[in-house]
Amino acid sequence: MSDPNTASMHHLNLEQLTKTLTSLFNLYEANRNSNHVHENEAEFHSLYVLLHLGSYSQPMGEPLSVWFRRVSTPVLKSKEMCFARRILRSSQLGNYKDFFCTTAAQATYLQFCIMMPYINEVRALALSCINFGGYKLHPYPLLDLSKHLMIKESDLECFCNSCGLEICTDESGNKLLPTKQTTFSHPKGRFQSYSFLGLQEYESRSEVVGALMGLDGDVTEGVANQ
Amino acid sequence: MGLWSEEKAQNCSTWERVLSFGGGGRELGRNMGEAHRRITEYLNRFSDAVSSQDGSSFKSLFALSSNSPYLLSLADALNLFQDANRLIKQSENYSQFADILVPLFRSLQNYRQNNLLEAYNAFEKTANAFIQEFRNWESAWALEALYVIVYDIRVLAEKADKELASNGKSPEKLKGAGSVLMKVFGTLALGTVHLCRSVIRSIETARIFDFEEFPKRDKVTYMYYTGRLEVFNENFSAADYKLSYALKYCNPQSTANIRFGSGVPTYINIVQALRRGDLRLLRRALQDHEDRRISCPGEVRTSSLPEISKEDVRIHYIIQKQKDPNRAHQVKLDVIVKALKWLEIDMDVDEVECIMAILIFKNLMKGYFAHKSKVVVLSKQDPFPKLNGKPVNS
Repeated sequence: MSDPNTASMHHLNLEQLTKTLTSLFNLYEANRNSNHVHENEAEFHSLYVLLHLGSYSQPMGEPLSVWFRRVSTPVLKSKEMCFARRILRSSQLGNYKDFFCTTAAQATYLQFCIMMPYINEVRALALSCINFGGYKLHPYPLLDLSKHLMIKESDLECFCNSCGLEICTDESGNKLLPTKQTTFSHPKGRFQSYSFLGLQEYESRSEVVGALMGLDGDVTEGVANQ
Repeated sequence: MGLWSEEKAQNCSTWERVLSFGGGGRELGRNMGEAHRRITEYLNRFSDAVSSQDGSSFKSLFALSSNSPYLLSLADALNLFQDANRLIKQSENYSQFADILVPLFRSLQNYRQNNLLEAYNAFEKTANAFIQEFRNWESAWALEALYVIVYDIRVLAEKADKELASNGKSPEKLKGAGSVLMKVFGTLALGTVHLCRSVIRSIETARIFDFEEFPKRDKVTYMYYTGRLEVFNENFSAADYKLSYALKYCNPQSTANIRFGSGVPTYINIVQALRRGDLRLLRRALQDHEDRRISCPGEVRTSSLPEISKEDVRIHYIIQKQKDPNRAHQVKLDVIVKALKWLEIDMDVDEVECIMAILIFKNLMKGYFAHKSKVVVLSKQDPFPKLNGKPVNS
C-alpha cells in the first residue's frame, strides 16, 4: 500500500502548496487596502490552517498560534476561518462527531481536498475510541456509526476490516461492530479512498486531486464509479 | 577607580583627559596602546561570552548605569581611541555584532561625557539590535543580559528626559523605552512557556531592582502576561491576584490597553469561574474572546470542551451519589445533554457519547459507555483520574 514514490510526491506537493500559500499571503499584505478582504483571501487562509491537521502534516516552522496573531481580524472572523479553526479544534480534541458534521455541512471543495488525507485518520481514531470504551455486551450498530463518520455502511465495513476489526451480524441481518476487540491496528501506509456522505459531488471531482496528493487508488476507478 | 566626577567630565577637554589617563603627556603613545588593549579585551569578552553562552559574564558588559569601574575605564579608552568601529570590524568574532556594539560604544562614550540624551538614543539602538539577536539564539542563555539592558534603558531614558526638560524640551525618552520594553515582552510572551518561566524567575529573584520602581505601565504589562501564564499553569489564586492587579491599574483610556483591557476581564472571568466551579460563566468567558484565545500559546488547553463535559459529568456523579449511592456511577447521556444546554452548549446525544468515548480513551475518565441504553457507566472507584491521562495506545 505504501509506495515510497507516492509518499515523496505527496510530501513535495504539500511543501509546494505551503510555499505558494505563504507567497500569496505576502501578496495580500503588500496590496492591503485598509480592512478590505480580497475575494478568496479568507478561504486561502483557511487552507493554511487545515494543513496543520493530523499526524502527517509537516511542521510549518512557526507555531500556528503565532501565525494567527498576524492574520487580520476580518479574515480571522470569516466563515471559512471559523470553519477551519473549528475543524482543527475538534480534531485536536478527538471530537469526531463534530468533525464530520461540520465538514459535511460547511466544507468548500478546496477545503475538502486539503482535509482528504486526514479524514480516514479521524475515522480510525473513532473506531479506536468506540472499540476501547464501548460496552462489550452491546456491539455498536454499523449503520449508526456510518452516519457519525459520514461514510457508506459498506465502506465502513471495509474500513473496519482494514483496521483489523471484525464485523458481526444479528438475527435481523443488521451489521454490528463488537467492542473490546484486541486486534485493532492502524493499516500500514495510507488509507484507500472511501466515500463521504453528503459530499458526493466533491468526491467525484476529488478523485483526480486525491491521486495528485498521493492517495492510493486508481484514478480511473473513481471516474468509472460516477 | 572613580576617576571622574560628572562635573569634571563635563568641563574637561579631550587633551586633558588624554594627559590624565595614564598620568602625563609622555605616556600618550602607551595610553593609546592601553586604550586599544582595553577595547579589544572587551570585544573578546563579548564574543567569548556569546560563543560559550555565558549569561553571567555577558550581562556585565551592558550595565552602563551601574558605573562599574570596568565600563568606566572602557568608556575612557573609547573616548581616547576614537576609532573603535575599525576595531569592531577587524574580526569576524565581533563584527557580526556590530549592530549591537557600535551604538553601545557610542552610548558609553556619551554617558561618560554626560551627554545623556545621546547616550540614551544610542543605547536604544543597541537594545533593538540585541532583541533581534536574542530571538535568533536558540535558548534563553542571554536572559540576564536582556534584563540588564531593559533596566538600563529605563534608567538612561529617565536621565535623558531630565536633560531634555532642563533644556526646555519635552521629555519623551521614557515613552520610547516603554516601547522597547513592550518589544521584549512580546518576544518573550510569544515564545515558549519555558522561556517565560526563566524570565519570571530571574525577574523575581534578581536583586538589582525593585519591581515597585518600574513605571506603572510596565508593572501592569508584567502582571498581565504572568497572570495569563498562571492561568495556563492552572495556578488560579496567583492568576487571580496578578490579573486583578493588571485590571486595577491599567488605564482604560489608552488605546494599547483597550486590547489588554478587554483581555484582562476575560482572564479574570476564567479564573473566577474555574475557582467557583461556575461553568456557565466559564463558558461565556471562553466564548466572548475566542479570537484572543487563538493567540495565546496553549489555546487548545483553555478551550477544552471535553473538560467542561468532564466537570459536568462529575457534578452529576456527585448529585446522583447523594440520591442513590448504588446507582451514582451510571449517568444518562440525556441528562448530560440537558445540563450542557443549561451551560448554553448545544450538543446532541451522539456528540455527548463521542465526548464520553474520547474521555474514556484518553484515560480522563474510567468506565464505559453503552450505546443501546444511552448511558455512561463510571468506575465505582476513582472514576476521574488526574488530568495527566494519556491515550491508551500511545
